[in-house]
Parts: sequence; structure tokens; C-alpha cells
Amino acid sequence: MILFFQTLISGLSLGSIYALIALGYTMVYGIAKMLNFAHGDVIMIGAYSVIVAVMQMNMPPILAIFVSIAFCALLGVIIEFLAYKPLRKAPSLAVLITAIGVSYFLQNIAQLIFGTQQKFFPKIISLPSVTLGTIEISGITLATLAVTAIIMIVLTLFINKTKVGKAMRAVSEDKEAAELMGISTNRTISVTFAIGSALAAVASIFYGATYTYIKPTTGSMPGIKAFTAAVFGGIGSIPGAMLGGILLGIIEQFSKAYVSTTMSDAIVFAVLVIVLVVKPTGLLGKKISEKV
Amino acid sequence: MKNFKKISTLLLAVLMIASCVVLSSCGNEKKADDVLVIGGVGPLTGDYANYGNSVKNGAEIAVAEINAAGGINGFTIRLDFQDSAGVPDSAVAAYGKLMDDDMMVSLGGVLSGETASIVAAAKDDGILILTPSASADDALKGNDAAFRVCFSDSSQGVSAANYIGANNLPKKVAVFYQNDIDYSSGLYKAFEDTADANGIEIVVVESFTSDTDTDFTTQITAIQNSGAEMIFMPIYADEASTFLSQANGKFAEDMLFFGCDGLDGIIGKVADTADCENVLLLTPFAADAEAENVQKFVTAYKNAHNDAIPDQFAADGYDAIYAIKAAMEKANITVEDQDNFNSRIVAAMTEITVNGVTGNMTWEASGETAKDPIVMIIKSGVAQLYNP
Repeated sequence: MILFFQTLISGLSLGSIYALIALGYTMVYGIAKMLNFAHGDVIMIGAYSVIVAVMQMNMPPILAIFVSIAFCALLGVIIEFLAYKPLRKAPSLAVLITAIGVSYFLQNIAQLIFGTQQKFFPKIISLPSVTLGTIEISGITLATLAVTAIIMIVLTLFINKTKVGKAMRAVSEDKEAAELMGISTNRTISVTFAIGSALAAVASIFYGATYTYIKPTTGSMPGIKAFTAAVFGGIGSIPGAMLGGILLGIIEQFSKAYVSTTMSDAIVFAVLVIVLVVKPTGLLGKKISEKV
Repeated sequence: MKNFKKISTLLLAVLMIASCVVLSSCGNEKKADDVLVIGGVGPLTGDYANYGNSVKNGAEIAVAEINAAGGINGFTIRLDFQDSAGVPDSAVAAYGKLMDDDMMVSLGGVLSGETASIVAAAKDDGILILTPSASADDALKGNDAAFRVCFSDSSQGVSAANYIGANNLPKKVAVFYQNDIDYSSGLYKAFEDTADANGIEIVVVESFTSDTDTDFTTQITAIQNSGAEMIFMPIYADEASTFLSQANGKFAEDMLFFGCDGLDGIIGKVADTADCENVLLLTPFAADAEAENVQKFVTAYKNAHNDAIPDQFAADGYDAIYAIKAAMEKANITVEDQDNFNSRIVAAMTEITVNGVTGNMTWEASGETAKDPIVMIIKSGVAQLYNP
């Protein structure tokens, strides 16, 4: 029974990180209707920027966190401007391939600047762990869960209640009609990327605090898993990303603990396939009837 | 905008031609007689880039030292290191390119898979292949001119089991290994085969893959519940530091962690040196060792690479170059007399003794090296010789 709870806690810890990353994925997909495969690598860059800020520029942790968030938001806007904006009218496949290219570009840039060996992430967050009976829950896990939930709520409110959010929904619905109504599509999509990448920076801080080590390929696997989580929960749906991420983390850890540590990925993706067969829009995805 | 595209295309074309001329990599011109071209192949980009870069960096240090001291019998060494991204097919292509560029001695590959492909492809060329780090048992198969600097995986797994058996170490052992790389699974296999004979009881076996190398909490839980008193972990230092930082505080204080040469450099890699307390290392190279040649190498490496601490791979690359130097000198190959270069240098390999940073090495005709591993234990962030 102890094993069960220990696994549940480690699943929650992993799942909350996936959820945090998946929020960024789903946000960009929901508005710009594109899969930003470079999202995972922005997380890696975010983590390195914290390392540089704290270890080399000796910034206080709080300042480093804000610098990293601002840096990633700017990076997101620049990536969008240079790589995706020229392809606004191109078929979505071209954009997808470009995103994969950006992902490799970021990985290799990081490799050039920081080398290929892993670096450790400074301990900028130290929270006491909570003990329930014999089970210990780390403070970072709780903080990640709380932050993810808060971001989920704020994002939902932002998209549904603010003027910028309304513009985002309009652009997502129909770009040309939105333009005709006086909404600047380019600016709206830029803002979306800025927010998505800022979320990546937040994710990088919790990732670094949980897993301690960062290397240039750090972002790619969690990125793919979080993308899976976003699809699992219903891509484009913000609560879906959170639910999908947490479930994915729990499934992964349970299959590691009870089935096989090497088969866990196969099991995770098999669950995804089953969900998509039964419910093609994901757990919380809305059914959209395409007009032909 | 159209003009801009045209101009930039033109510029690119000019740049490409210019770089060709500058780097003189477009071939055709013959190399000078007094240049010894040593070719290396390994992953400089991609998932395994750290291993390839380490070997390359280590080899470069040796080349710089030797060239600064006047070269070998009148030869100046030129190291030409090509990227394989860890893919065997690319490695063979890179080997072919190096042969076209007058490579005289090959460092084979960095990883076992790519080395096996190069060794097979080079069978009829007769060129000396001295791989620094390809440790899989069959990486040298089928080519009499292939040698290695590192131990083979099975010999290391067997040494580890024998050492544990012969010394006063706990016999209830958990195994934690990476099952998608030859190094780790080869070592585990050999260890498992000789465990019984040494009275070792393997109580639990936990594994991971390169895709699942960030979260080890479930494996740690399983080991906690197994009653193991020591963990045998034939893995690399990067993954080990992740494991140890997550394991910190989860095990009894006297828990021992037994690693092999892959763990070398762990002290410089952990975020907190308390993480690697009680780590035992069975390794031919320890960056913390006091031997004069080791410290000289470590200092040179740190100066050249931003204070990075050389790992096993870098040390193997460094020793490979010195072994080639020793073989050249033994075979008495000079700029004036370099006929039958290949057969003479290959024959010399089994006659030389090299006192390298990875130990005192001699080679057998099979290509295997004979050197003694030492066992170190880490206490309070310092590696010291282990006294059982």
C-alpha cells in the first residue's frame, strides 16, 4: 500500500510538470492553430537562462525568475516573427516542419554555448516537504501543482474575460473575419507566443527544481510527453491540458512501478491511442463539426 | 525582396567556395610527407555528443602536447575528427572521407556500434584502428588491426563481481542499469553471470532508457523495498548524478553505490557533493588521482575547456594518441622511412607499454588492453583509494 501511495505522489509530481508544459502547448495550438514543437526547447533555454542569471551574474533568485520569464517571452516572439510569421499562408505541414527545425536549432545553439554535458540547476526554491503518515510529499511537487492550477484558472479567465482574450478567440475562430473586424492578427499571435513561452519559462523553473540537471536535450522528451498530454486532455482545451498532464504522469509512474520501467513509455502511448480511438477529441476536447 | 534573395544566394555560394579554399577540404592536393593524419569519428552532435566531444577534446590535448614537444620522429600530428551523430552508417561514410583525406591511423569510433561498423569496413585497408572508448565485446571482431584503449564491457563486469566477492563488501546487491546502451547492459550481463560464483545475491534489478533518464523515483522506491545493502550501477556519470540527487536521503546512511569507469568525473557533476558519498568506483581513470601525469592532463584539459573536468572518454582519447606515438617510435617509422606503414605500426602495438592516464597499458593481439583497475571510494567529496 505504501508503494501505491509513493507511486501516486511521484506520478503527481511528474504529472504536474507535464501539465505545466502542456498548458503552453495547448494555448498556442488553441489560438494560432499550430503545433509549436519548439516549446520543449524553449523550456530548456529558460532553464539555462536561470543558470546563467544565478550562477554567472549572481542575481537573486526572484529576479532571475523574472529575467528568465521575460527572456523566454521575448524569445517566443522572435521565433514566431522569424520562423512562423513568413509561413502564415503556407500549408500547416510547412509550419510543422519549421517548428521541428526551430527545435533542433535551439538544441544545437544550446550545445554550442553551454556544451553537451549536463549542468546543475541552482537551488532557487527550497520548500519544506509535507509528511502524511509514512508518505513524504516534496514541497516543490505541491508548489508545481498549485502554480499549474493558478495558471490554468488565470489563463481561462484571461481568454474568456479580457479584450485581448476575445481577440485571441476571434483569431482562432477565423483569421480573416477577425482582420475585418479590426483585430491585428499578427499582434494577437505575437501575444499568444509571448504568453506561451513565458509559461515555458515557469515550467523550466519547476522542472529544474524537481530534476536538478539540465542538458541541451532536456526539453525534447518532456515536450513530446506534454504534447501527448495536451492531446490526451483535448488539445486547445486549457483544463484538458492540466487533466491530461496529471493523468499522463500518474499512468507513467504506475506502469514503471507495477509493470516495467522500460515499457512505461509504450504503455503511456498505448493509453493515448485507446483514448483517441474512443474519444477522438481527447478527454475534454470540444466536438467541432467541420463545414465542408 | 527578390533582389535580396538573389544577392543572399550569391553571397552564400561565394562563402561556400571561400570556405572550401580556406579549409582546403575540397581535396585533390596531396598532404605533406611529414604530417601524420590521425582520423577520429564520433558523435559531436545529437544525443551522444558529450562522449564524442570528450574524446575529441582529450585527443586534441595530447596532439597539442606532442606537437609542441617536436612531434613524433619528425612527424607533426594533424587530428581530423568527423561527426557521426552516433549513427553507424554516417560513421562509415566519415571513415571513407578520412581515408580519401590521407588518414594514416584511425581512432575508430567513439561508440561501440559505430566502431563495429568502421572496423568491418576497414578490414581490407590494413590501417591501424585504435578506438579510445568502444567497449562492447564484439566491437573489434574480424579485424586484426583493431585495438582499444578502454576495457571491454564483459571484462569490467567480471572484475566488478570478483572484486565484490573477494573483499569485505555487502553481498545483497541491487542492480540499476540503462538497458538501451551496450555499455551498461553488457556490464550488467557479465556481472550477473559471475555474481553467483562470488556469493553475490542480486535482490532487485531496476533499469531505465535514454528516453526515461530524468525521473528515477519509482526505481529508488523499488530498491528501498528490496533490502539491498549495495547498488551496482554500471551507468554513466550524468545519469548517475541524477539518480544520486534523487536518492539523497532515501537510503540507509551506510548504503554503498558501486560504479565502474562510466561513473568517473561524478564528483564534478553532482550538484551537491553529499550526493556522491559512499560511491565506489572501479575505474582505470580517476580525475582526482594524484599521479603526476593525471594531474598534468586534468590541468591542461581544464585550461583548454573552461574548467571542465575530463571524464573517462577524454582520458581514453588522450591515451590513444600517446599509444600511437609509442607505436610509431617502437616501429621506428620516420619521415624518410615510412614504407609498409600499416603493417609496421600494427605489429608494434603488441610490443609497446604505455604509462597513460588510464593506467599502465599493454596490448594483446586480440586488440584487448591489459591494465589494472583501481577501486576508489568517495568520502566528503574526495575520492580516495578504497581499503576494504
